[in-house]
Amino acid sequence: MAGFWVIAEINPDGSLARASAELATLARELASTAGTEAHGIVVATEPSAAAKELATYLGDVIAIADPSLADHAWAQVAAQRAAEVIDTSGPTAILTGAASDGRDIAGTLLALLDGAILVNATAVTWAEGSGESVEMSVFGGKLITTSSFRDGVDVRIVTVRPNVVTAETASAPGTVRTESPKADLTLPSVAIVDHVAAEGAAAKIDDARIIVAGGRGIGGEAGLELVQQLADRLGGAVGATRAAVDAGWIPYAQQIGQTGKIVKPQLYLALGISGAIQHKVGMQTAGTIIAVNRDPDAPIAEFADMLVVGDLFEVGKALVAELDARG
Amino acid sequence: MTTVAAPPTSSAGQYRLTDEQLLLRETLHDLADERIAPRAAEIDRSGEFPEDIRQLLARHDVLALPFPERFGGVGGDLLTQCVAIEQIARADTTSSLILTVQGLGSLPILLGGTEEQQGRFIPDLASGAKLVAFALTEPEAGSDAGATRTRAVRDGDSYVIDGTKRFITNGSVASLITVFAVTDPEARTSKRLSCFAVEVPSEGFKVNRLEHKLGIRGSPTAELSFDGVRVPVENRIGEEGDGWKLAMGTFDRSRPGIAAQAVGIAQGALDAAVAYARDRKQFGQRIGDFQMIQAMLADMDARIEAARQVTYKACVEIEAGAPDGARWASIAKLIAGDTAMAVTTDAVQVFGGYGYTDDFPVERMMRDAKITQLYEGTQQVQRLVIARALLGKGG
Amino acid sequence: MPLNIVVLAKPVPDPAAAAEKLGPDNRLDRSASPSVINGNDEYTLEAALQLVEAHGGEVTLLAMAPAGGAETLRKGLAMGATRGVLVTDPALAGSDAWSTAKVLAAVLKDLQFDLVLAGFDTSDGVGGVVGAAVATLLKLPYLSSAAAIEPNPDAGTVRVRRISGSGFDVLEAKTPALIVGTQLLGAPRYPSLKGIMGARSKEVSQRSLADLGLQADGSDAVGGGAARTEVSARRTPPARGAATVVRGSAGEAAKAIVALLAERRLV
Repeated sequence: MAGFWVIAEINPDGSLARASAELATLARELASTAGTEAHGIVVATEPSAAAKELATYLGDVIAIADPSLADHAWAQVAAQRAAEVIDTSGPTAILTGAASDGRDIAGTLLALLDGAILVNATAVTWAEGSGESVEMSVFGGKLITTSSFRDGVDVRIVTVRPNVVTAETASAPGTVRTESPKADLTLPSVAIVDHVAAEGAAAKIDDARIIVAGGRGIGGEAGLELVQQLADRLGGAVGATRAAVDAGWIPYAQQIGQTGKIVKPQLYLALGISGAIQHKVGMQTAGTIIAVNRDPDAPIAEFADMLVVGDLFEVGKALVAELDARG
Repeated sequence: MTTVAAPPTSSAGQYRLTDEQLLLRETLHDLADERIAPRAAEIDRSGEFPEDIRQLLARHDVLALPFPERFGGVGGDLLTQCVAIEQIARADTTSSLILTVQGLGSLPILLGGTEEQQGRFIPDLASGAKLVAFALTEPEAGSDAGATRTRAVRDGDSYVIDGTKRFITNGSVASLITVFAVTDPEARTSKRLSCFAVEVPSEGFKVNRLEHKLGIRGSPTAELSFDGVRVPVENRIGEEGDGWKLAMGTFDRSRPGIAAQAVGIAQGALDAAVAYARDRKQFGQRIGDFQMIQAMLADMDARIEAARQVTYKACVEIEAGAPDGARWASIAKLIAGDTAMAVTTDAVQVFGGYGYTDDFPVERMMRDAKITQLYEGTQQVQRLVIARALLGKGG
Repeated sequence: MPLNIVVLAKPVPDPAAAAEKLGPDNRLDRSASPSVINGNDEYTLEAALQLVEAHGGEVTLLAMAPAGGAETLRKGLAMGATRGVLVTDPALAGSDAWSTAKVLAAVLKDLQFDLVLAGFDTSDGVGGVVGAAVATLLKLPYLSSAAAIEPNPDAGTVRVRRISGSGFDVLEAKTPALIVGTQLLGAPRYPSLKGIMGARSKEVSQRSLADLGLQADGSDAVGGGAARTEVSARRTPPARGAATVVRGSAGEAAKAIVALLAERRLV
């Protein structure tokens, strides 16, 4: 078994993405069960900080500095650099994130390395004989499938959802080795010619522990302020349904649901959200779901832990007061 | 000795919805759910003509549906038009009226107008740039259309129209009005009237008032007065005396549309009632599990399906030129209108007290349904038409 | 200058029908639900239609699906696409992402295009990896997570606004290129009635594996028989119990919420 490889994603500030720390933890556990090694790869203009952080989770980290990434799109470059160092001499599992960057690099590696892929994993295990087992939630959450790779497939790529494992550092930090780019890039490059900052970049919801979300019922900016207040008190991020995004109250980056993000926070507080299927699939696996809605028959009652029937503004303000009183 | 009518021998009345009709139905179903239904309660509450819906329908070629392709229309046959009307009416009756009246008002021109007249009037109607209204009814001439008093007197190369029309849908928003007026007061009923395409605004034309109605509140129902309105001869549709025939011919083709509208209203009410029965819990279970509710919903569904099928069949028969087209049109409208009234009333019943409030759409649907038993010929008039087809004219 | 755009459009089980299921062979049972064009592909189709409305040109729908897929593509034709290309072959049933990418790449090799547009992911697979794999196989510039697409046909380039952690990156590449879109491209139009009536006269040509020079067996095989992954088990997730319903004053409700949060150590 040639090993488990994690392709790390980097935050804009150069630090290691939380989802990659989780992947590294997962890879380490799988490698230990399989009796093989886990490796991490960091490809960036300046990979050292993230590589050092990744090494607290993995025994072996390869840092590749590619200056072209300063003004070229990441995934195809990173995939080619990763392909230069990944040892594919035996069954090799490559773990990536399941969001945009992870998908981009996974799809590129699939073609570069002539491999196989399973996507959107909610669990990955390894067993003697059968190898990797990947669980995926399908059909809007109605079914969970367990899939595996057929014999004779060496390169096995899995894109993994956030919050599948909790990131846990290894008992002792691993080592970082530096590699330079080995060859010219064969795939056409894509230049980054400009950056546009989004107005009011909000806390990312992708791996937030706590999310307070507003739906159609919040009515507008005033309601959004209440949602933000509650998020602040609870130490969480602000999410929204498609209705709120379409109405222009909140950016698309915070949309949860079928055409937005799928999240798995420990707490999902839903204000003025009916719980229709398009939204439900985005949050139904949250640890605790609390909904506030005027309608006692809202569909969200079927899968929430608690439904508060009432006016979300009154209840929301009372909740803010109650949380403040606790200090 | 009268004989029983021979059994039908032609296969003209077979139909399946084509792929286009299915895609059209699906498209309008989505359009109605996503863009029209959310506006329905507000349209009813404000009583304002939904100009935004009219633009939406025009943009998606819905208003082009009743018109020939050579004038910018889509060339939809009667069945296709009814499929479209039903989907819109499911979401909002007022919005569906925009389409049905565009058909109703223009039918005299399509049936009796010259190619030149059609070329002059139809393109703007097909594009939805202009709306058309149908003006037959008067304060003293409702079911008794023969009692029409509005006069059109020939004067050189024009006619001068004087009189009052009442209950004219779109009367205040139309740019073109097909007006039925007496040109020969001495002639018998079926020859007294002529039809004119009156372009408005026009000197002497006035919208006196709009009715405050039980339902279809967003549809402007106007009283119009014609005080020496001059209309060029080129705007007379057909020959002098053709008016009655044009009006009756119009109804034969427009009544299925009203039937489709009624089917749509009923379907919308059933959908709302079913969703409610699924969610609403009383006595520890959802009310949809109670047999009395199940019986009501089942009866509603069966009646709607029956009304729908007779409406589709009527479309096919009329389009094929069946000699008893009038009977088919009236049967469809009779059955569908009564179905809509019964189903919407039962829908309110399923909702219980909540159904009586405007928190839910069924009370509006019930109010809207009533008109389908009244306009384009009351249910009683439909019965007269059917009876005449069975018995022949009185001797 | 006119643009030639290929839009990848996958027929999928209609999510609104909520009737998706796996067959006894653990493959998707496509007969269980009506088939519709994948929702995210309608966004990229809309973007393509707007681009050819602005620049001139044509939109071709490309799908790999069972034979009924031609009917599913009708809506895309009614929205305004010029033609459809359907790759269909019984051997393709049960294909994995790798096969799909190889087959699509093989078709695209024979098509002329300035842009290939792919949806963010599919409602049945939720993978979002096929676009990157196809771009790599064809050595096309790959631009993903597009919120806006601006081709410059005269210069032979395209710019894309890519959603990033802090807003947008503006990417630029030479055409032909492959772009993965997002919902931010703009809501898809309803087909106009004229479009619906006209769709029948638009061509949907078909390709089989043999037409593409591909095989279902052998070392370079594609299709279900060559799938490199398989579903070995399935289960329904445990149902969540029904919610505790709290009524009463806002103050009482707030206390009940906090009590639950405290119990679960969330505050």
